Amino acid sequence: MDDRLIPTQNERIEDALRSYPPASMPRSITSDVMARLQTTPAPRFQLTRKDLILAVVLTAVFNSILFGLQFLPGHVVLQIQIQGILAWQAFLVNMRWLLPALFFGLAAVLAALTVPILYRMTMDGRR
Amino acid sequence: MEPEQSLIQRAQKGDPEAFAALVDEHQRYVYNLALRIVKDENEALDLTQETFVRAWMALPNFRGQSQFRTWLYRITTNLCYNRLPHLRRSLNDLGDDVLPEVVESEDTASNPLRALESNEIRSQLHQAIDQLDANYKMLIVLRYHDELSYEEIASLLNLPLGTVKTGIFRAKEKLRLALQGFASEEKWTTV
Repeated sequence: MDDRLIPTQNERIEDALRSYPPASMPRSITSDVMARLQTTPAPRFQLTRKDLILAVVLTAVFNSILFGLQFLPGHVVLQIQIQGILAWQAFLVNMRWLLPALFFGLAAVLAALTVPILYRMTMDGRR
Repeated sequence: MEPEQSLIQRAQKGDPEAFAALVDEHQRYVYNLALRIVKDENEALDLTQETFVRAWMALPNFRGQSQFRTWLYRITTNLCYNRLPHLRRSLNDLGDDVLPEVVESEDTASNPLRALESNEIRSQLHQAIDQLDANYKMLIVLRYHDELSYEEIASLLNLPLGTVKTGIFRAKEKLRLALQGFASEEKWTTV
């Protein structure tokens, strides 16, 4: 079958396409849009008082820990390091199963968060 | 009347009156495109409003590389993609087959034979256009109402040029089939 449109049909179709009437608006939306602009300010980056307080508290806690560690006696620091190494070794020997369990758990949580959204999007598309 | 460029510049500086003038000027085009895609008056009005609200927020980023209306259409089509996820898929699924060149007639009004063309066939073809899928109608509105070039449509919809040409060609094919249907019906009724 020849895919080319024969001239008379093509002319009729072109004529119909060019004369296809644009839809007329039932009403003007200018006032609605302008009303929404006043209630929807453009998003701006701004720091709130809460952000500043949180930043100050976190900085103070972090610095006080670092500062405190510097003034600990040498044998205490050594004890902490030894206990840390022992705890890590104990973890590797006795609780190695916890690592894959944590990863699978994390994957399950992510799936639980994303699957319903993806499902909804797919179902919307089929409607 | 104030030139559009000056209105855009004033609106970019935050002048709501200038933006209102732009909304007045372009709303019917945006509404027309939205209605052809979503096929529902209320939803099309809502999409049109949303387009202008987004345009206001994004206006500082408008660099004037494309026409203002084309830029608005980009926002509208993105909103339509969000509301109708299958629309994007159906456009991509058009593919970009190599199609024979479609010969487009120059001016329908200049040919006296065409002046005699039946209004009935034209209105039936208009109904057939109404029945087309949203992806085809979107391409047709951009091509024939707004007289955008294939390249502009491809850039606006972020589609390959071939896909746009294929889409418009297939839309015409569907109309040709509809036209054949009318012709056979006519024969049937006149026998």
